[in-house]
Amino acid sequence: METPNSRMFARLTDARGRLETGRTDMPQIIIDGRSIEATQGKTIIEAALDSGITIPHFCWHPALSVAGNCRMCLVNVGSHKKDTDGSLMYAADGTPIVSWIPKMQIACATPVADGMIVDTTSEKTVLAQNAVMEFLLVNHPLDCPICDEAGQCKLQEYAFLHSKGQSRFDEEKVHKEKRVELGPNVMFDGERCISCSRCIRFADEVAKQPVLSFVQRGDKVTIRTFPGTQFDSQYSMNVIDICPVGALTSIDFRFKARVWEMSFTDSVCPGCARGCNIKIGVMDNSVLRTEPRTNMHVNSYWMCDHGRLMAPSIVNEDRLSGPMIRSNGVLTASTWEEAISAVADSLKGLKGSQIAVIGSAHASNEDNYALARLASDVLQTSNLDYVKHNDHSFGDEVLRVNDVSPNAIGAHSVGLTPKSDGHGIDHMADRILRGDVKALIVMGEDLGSHSVALAEAAATVDTLIVLGTHNSVTAKQANILLPMNSWAESEGTFTNMLHRVQRFEAAVTTADTSRSMAQNKMSRWDKFGAPNDRWMQGVRRDCRLGWRIVAQVASALGVNWPYTSSSEVFQDLAKNVGAFSGMSYALLDAHQGLVLGKASSPEPAGVVYESHVMKPQ
Amino acid sequence: MSLTNLIIILVQAGILVNLMLMAAAYMVLAERKIAAWIQNRVGPDRVGPWGLFQSFSDVFKLYLKEDIVPAAADYRFHALAPVIAIAVAVTTFAIIPFSGPLVEIDGIKYGLVMAPNMNIGILAVLAMTSVGVYGVALAGWSSNNKYSLMGGLRSAAQMISYELSMGLAIIGVVLIAGSLNLIEIINVQTKGVWFIFLQPVGFILFFVTALAETNRAPFDLPEAEPELVGGYHTEYSGMKFGLLYLAEYANILASSAIMATLFLGGWDVIPFLDDSTILGLAPNSLPLVLLGHVVFLSKAFALVFVFIWIRWSLPRFRYDQLMNLGWKVLLPISLVNVILTGLGILFLQ
Amino acid sequence: MANITSNTESQRLNFWEKLYLPEIARGLSLTLRQMFKPTFTRRYPEERWNPEGSYRGRPVLVLEEDGERCVACGLCSRVCPALAIEVRAAETQDDKERYPEKFEINMLRCIYCGFCEEVCPEEAIVMSKDYELVFGSQEEGIFGKDKLLVPVAQLQDRLEFLRQWR
Repeated sequence: METPNSRMFARLTDARGRLETGRTDMPQIIIDGRSIEATQGKTIIEAALDSGITIPHFCWHPALSVAGNCRMCLVNVGSHKKDTDGSLMYAADGTPIVSWIPKMQIACATPVADGMIVDTTSEKTVLAQNAVMEFLLVNHPLDCPICDEAGQCKLQEYAFLHSKGQSRFDEEKVHKEKRVELGPNVMFDGERCISCSRCIRFADEVAKQPVLSFVQRGDKVTIRTFPGTQFDSQYSMNVIDICPVGALTSIDFRFKARVWEMSFTDSVCPGCARGCNIKIGVMDNSVLRTEPRTNMHVNSYWMCDHGRLMAPSIVNEDRLSGPMIRSNGVLTASTWEEAISAVADSLKGLKGSQIAVIGSAHASNEDNYALARLASDVLQTSNLDYVKHNDHSFGDEVLRVNDVSPNAIGAHSVGLTPKSDGHGIDHMADRILRGDVKALIVMGEDLGSHSVALAEAAATVDTLIVLGTHNSVTAKQANILLPMNSWAESEGTFTNMLHRVQRFEAAVTTADTSRSMAQNKMSRWDKFGAPNDRWMQGVRRDCRLGWRIVAQVASALGVNWPYTSSSEVFQDLAKNVGAFSGMSYALLDAHQGLVLGKASSPEPAGVVYESHVMKPQ
Repeated sequence: MSLTNLIIILVQAGILVNLMLMAAAYMVLAERKIAAWIQNRVGPDRVGPWGLFQSFSDVFKLYLKEDIVPAAADYRFHALAPVIAIAVAVTTFAIIPFSGPLVEIDGIKYGLVMAPNMNIGILAVLAMTSVGVYGVALAGWSSNNKYSLMGGLRSAAQMISYELSMGLAIIGVVLIAGSLNLIEIINVQTKGVWFIFLQPVGFILFFVTALAETNRAPFDLPEAEPELVGGYHTEYSGMKFGLLYLAEYANILASSAIMATLFLGGWDVIPFLDDSTILGLAPNSLPLVLLGHVVFLSKAFALVFVFIWIRWSLPRFRYDQLMNLGWKVLLPISLVNVILTGLGILFLQ
Repeated sequence: MANITSNTESQRLNFWEKLYLPEIARGLSLTLRQMFKPTFTRRYPEERWNPEGSYRGRPVLVLEEDGERCVACGLCSRVCPALAIEVRAAETQDDKERYPEKFEINMLRCIYCGFCEEVCPEEAIVMSKDYELVFGSQEEGIFGKDKLLVPVAQLQDRLEFLRQWR
């Protein structure tokens, strides 16, 4: 097909053949006076991004096909002018004379060619950007005060950076439908839409559910689902993130908070073994929303709706707070000191073979490592294992995998497996019923998720010690219950199904942690609030970091570990467990996670593209 | 001395002390009112008509306040200091001749003056004011507080420095009058001119030193709030503070009365002429004596007004400036004044 | 040391000023004149002051016939230098889509700077003339919507002032 672009591409290719300025597989281009070595076949916007230059754009997204319909990325493209004899021409002051292509080109659809000179800052380019912005804003409503996107809106940002700041449009703006539910999770506002088609392309290409389309023409254009369908893909909510304006908003989150009122903490989704990188939005110490964080090795730009919607409820709902000891058959509140010494007392007289330890694929590597160390070094038991969680209906071809726990590989790698003379989880119920097991330590796990038999057997153990996050059946059966920080409240690492160890930071504080001391991400209100401010009086559950509880139990049993922070536990882990050797939190951060056993040869980090930047941070 | 005599003297003293303390309490109100007017404010106007009962309310408040004695204070002297201060201030009034006697009982004449015709009257006044420093110095020392101590020390140094000039300023008057007896000094003025016209420099000297002696602005360094919190009375509360406070105002009134006596002709109504002949009243007749009381108190309170007026007009001296003024300016001037007065008397008589 | 220009008190003053007394008399005459000028202060509870539209009293929310103007955008909360304002939005079926479910101003934190009014895109929060704020506890100092909503009729002076001068 012959398009204006392909014709121009052909011309530039001819010119390159004659110029002989360099290798043809790595075209040399000049952007804003900077000489850049691009990759053959990339577009100008990609080549620029690789070199750290961002060209304004709305419709282009690195993971989607090029639509070229927003015209925001118009740039001036040209080549070095040559004299009649073929020599390069220079101005009197020595600067090259450029012969510009008369019309401006869109950087997202123009492939780079050797010798290409691109200008993104000249008056002509700025005028073009201003004009495009003016057109986009003609019918865009001025409802930023209401719009959830405000504060992270690409259009808002560009209105500051690339717009004149005033409108010449006096007429009434076009009115369209404002509250259309495209699917169960996505709300569409037709007036705010700038018709960039990112959502349509996402539905077609990534979610593989091609139900969205433009309807009508001109300024009446809007987006609809195909009659009789709805956009209910498991990845539908990603369109909210990639929408450059507030046209697509989350039905779940709608109006809960302004962007700048939340703090955003880098974390990892605990929903499945993929370990999608996420950001956790927290306000008043409660999780309001999560959104994907770019990691090309794991989840690229996306995450599934299940993970997005489940994460806040994991932290916020049905949680344990305050240690408890069973006395006269009833769980009653106690102090931490009492609970820890009760644990120590119940374990002291027992032989290693009478104790069993069950870790969790939901707990971090640090917590599991501490537990494994307690089992082998202190309790000297061989009976340790963890519960696997497989849901064969969960996985798909995009991101989701059948293992619905975030850290099964990690639990295995840190040594939570039965020793040769011990017994694993599958025989645990039998052993308990036979009376071999006097004390059972369970961390972060509902035993019912393994088997009903194990859950019923656990209730008959003399001492059931539960380090739990949620008010599960196992927690209710416990003799001693020690509430544990959930993943969002801890700093730690998960190892995903690709054996990639990924770090997450604590987003929510508990009585055990403090926002400022732990250097958590803080919103303005977190930073400057005082204890008597009402908004500061959010829930701070009385639970402790898993490894800290384990260390305290070890200390009560006479073995002192010098751990003061998660990073120290991880250092110890990296020292003692071969697969983790060479890893540290700093290296994990620098490389967006490291693969087990390959800490010395990490993959290149590459450029991380974020669709919009959180300004308030 | 008969019993009647004693009772009468006690009654007399009671009346005088109460009158003077009342006057001092009302001076506090006057101070606040005048300060308000100078600053274009309304001033206290809540208690009674035009706020006239404010003084009573203040005193009641002070009585009801908790009396706090610092743990490390020397409690005996801490309690004694206000007593000394107020006692000395009030005792001064015994010597001040408000006017002639009002009543005659058993052949002895009684008036507002406790000790008329004391032939060393003016020396007694100086002696009393000198004792006054003990109250302040003791208050400062016994509080066991650096600010109080500093205030007390400053006060002592200041009083001693200015006492000298004050004494010398009086010498001019004494030379002209030829007597130390206050009533005699007034009598000389009644017959002749007021000494303010003969001793203008002496008057100014006495006025300035009186400001310093009573710790009034611009010489109120002992209680300089910005640097010493409250000076010697920082650690006082309740009525002890009240006594120190009243003593200050009583001292002002005493100083004003003495100035009225020494320089403004005491109870004399008309500056250059003899009142009794002009008004046609016999000397020491009851109407003239009553008029004398009014005139004397008017003069005294006019001077009190000037004290207050100065306080709300002039900024406080720095400590070195205070000492410079006392020793390098006022003392030489007062010495020269004494010499010139002496020479004048020598040549004119 | 030679090129240091000295500027002592005695160098600055002329002879009469050095004498002090004339200057003191000048100062005293000034204060004496002040005594006869009318007072600036007033007997407050009896004589009340009615501020002009430009006065920045306690911030209030404008209440129209059909409810508050506020759309809970949170800009006032963001701009507030004292962090006095807390806004929680909720969805409404009205045209404006969102409204403040909770709007609280901590009057103990408020410094009456008027930034909230300045930043408000809806002219929904304005500074009233109300300067009499008394509360008996910290809790009472936090004003909710019940105390903040004031009918638009009572705020005409301020709205007029804003229209004219802002």
